[in-house]
Amino acid sequence: MIKRYLRLYKVLISQFFKVIMQSKVDFLMGLFGFFFTQIMGIAFLYLVFQQIPTLQGWTLDQLIFIYGFAQIPRGIDHLFTDNIWMVAWRMVINGDFDRYMLRPMNVLFQIIGEKLQPDALGELLVGSILIVRSMMKGVVIIDAVHIFFFILSVLAGALIYTSIKLFFASLAFWVKCSGPFLQTAYEMADFAKYPTEIYAKLIRFIITWIVPFAFVAYLPASYFLGVGGFFGSGSNLGVIGIEWIIAVVFCGVAYLVFQKGIRIYESAGN
Amino acid sequence: MRKKLKIYLPFAANELKRQMAYKGAFYLFMFISLFSSFIMYFLWMAIYGSTDNSSLGGLTKDEMVVYVFMVYVTSSIVAISISDWVSDDVVKGNVAMNLIKPIDYRMSLIIRAMGDMVYRFLMPGVFIWIGLEIYKYKCLGMPVTGIENILLYLISCFMSFLIFVMFDFCFGMIAFFTTYIFGLMMVKEALLKFLTGELIPLSFFPGVIQKVFDFLPFSSMVYTPVMIYLGKYDHKELAFVLGRQAAWVILLYLLGSLIWRKVTRRLVVLGG
Repeated sequence: MIKRYLRLYKVLISQFFKVIMQSKVDFLMGLFGFFFTQIMGIAFLYLVFQQIPTLQGWTLDQLIFIYGFAQIPRGIDHLFTDNIWMVAWRMVINGDFDRYMLRPMNVLFQIIGEKLQPDALGELLVGSILIVRSMMKGVVIIDAVHIFFFILSVLAGALIYTSIKLFFASLAFWVKCSGPFLQTAYEMADFAKYPTEIYAKLIRFIITWIVPFAFVAYLPASYFLGVGGFFGSGSNLGVIGIEWIIAVVFCGVAYLVFQKGIRIYESAGN
Repeated sequence: MRKKLKIYLPFAANELKRQMAYKGAFYLFMFISLFSSFIMYFLWMAIYGSTDNSSLGGLTKDEMVVYVFMVYVTSSIVAISISDWVSDDVVKGNVAMNLIKPIDYRMSLIIRAMGDMVYRFLMPGVFIWIGLEIYKYKCLGMPVTGIENILLYLISCFMSFLIFVMFDFCFGMIAFFTTYIFGLMMVKEALLKFLTGELIPLSFFPGVIQKVFDFLPFSSMVYTPVMIYLGKYDHKELAFVLGRQAAWVILLYLLGSLIWRKVTRRLVVLGG
């Protein structure tokens, strides 16, 4: 069963590489676009830090690490599951979703496997550069434990992203086009690129516990920096534990809602 | 003139109607774009809280609040991306239809954008503006902005709008050469955010770079009207920045005509 899906995914991905090869210019421009957008955020921080020594105790190097770290789970999710956006925007409303229902394969697998989003490499590139920079500057703690949990945290982060995306996209089965809702939730991730202490209590609560992007970016990042965060996430491994719990719970809920949605799906048109 | 008005006015009216039809999505998008203003607001609060200086880049903390939200109002009115429409028309081949009609394609786009502008000004723009003024008066204890500044701001805003659409028209011409303009648009948006002062007041840049900005049209798009609104220019400077805006309108208009003539000469439309 798993073997069959792995083989299928390999076939799908090889198709994707053919597409990249065919349109190199498009690929490079998309990559450059995302790369550039993220670099601007860093330029902003850089300019601000010409005026101030630290931002509420955070140094520029630390903020750059948080910013860079936030890109990695986002990029991974963006690369592999970008097609879910299409469910939210148009597949349900125009009936394209039919074709997934007809094939003897897991529906979600088909949707995800259909497309890889090469633009995401721009985000991954920025993230990697910023993280490597932080490592060379000695801002982050590097030892076997931290590297191991870094990988775990990034994976959980990507899962949380995917779950939130899947959950809001699934609403399309009820409201037909859930793109705007998904976009709203998704854009909240931007809040977590900075230490969340700077926000008002309500906003902090929302991005920590309701749409938990703080657990994707800022909180685990503070663990790797070894400082800051709340309930001592700077030195407490528990933060990655909670991240995993959130990831598993959200995945479960999102998939259930998706399954329920499929059951009530009715095709559009005649 | 009257005849022209009759020809082009429907473009604005139609766009207005179209926007009204998709109100729900529109509100949500405006709401989303307010997110980043709030992120900026909290970031700036933290930034001002981390320094003993009362002003950074020539703006006090309270002025920065006004700056952040007026930038939002201004760019939502000004930044109407007509290059989207151009690339859409080119990809679908509609541009051919536009060429055989006895109207000026660019003019029709600009007028259509004006419909959009009016809508955006009425819908979220004015409310956020009023909200900001109330907040300013009640919570920050600043005087309400004078009528003179508001009028100058509106004039400057209108020219900003023209500069933006003229520039964006030139940018949209790239669609004639490549079909995947999405990546380039992202680059454009990111760059404009930075160069127009949307992300950070241009006064934060090092002196040399600010000198360069003086020779680019971007600072006239958002930064100038907002600074006028804040009353940061004296009479002489005001005349200069408004004059510079007018100059950019004319320059970009001429540039657009030139490029348009070049592009349409080599245009190939498939199908129809």
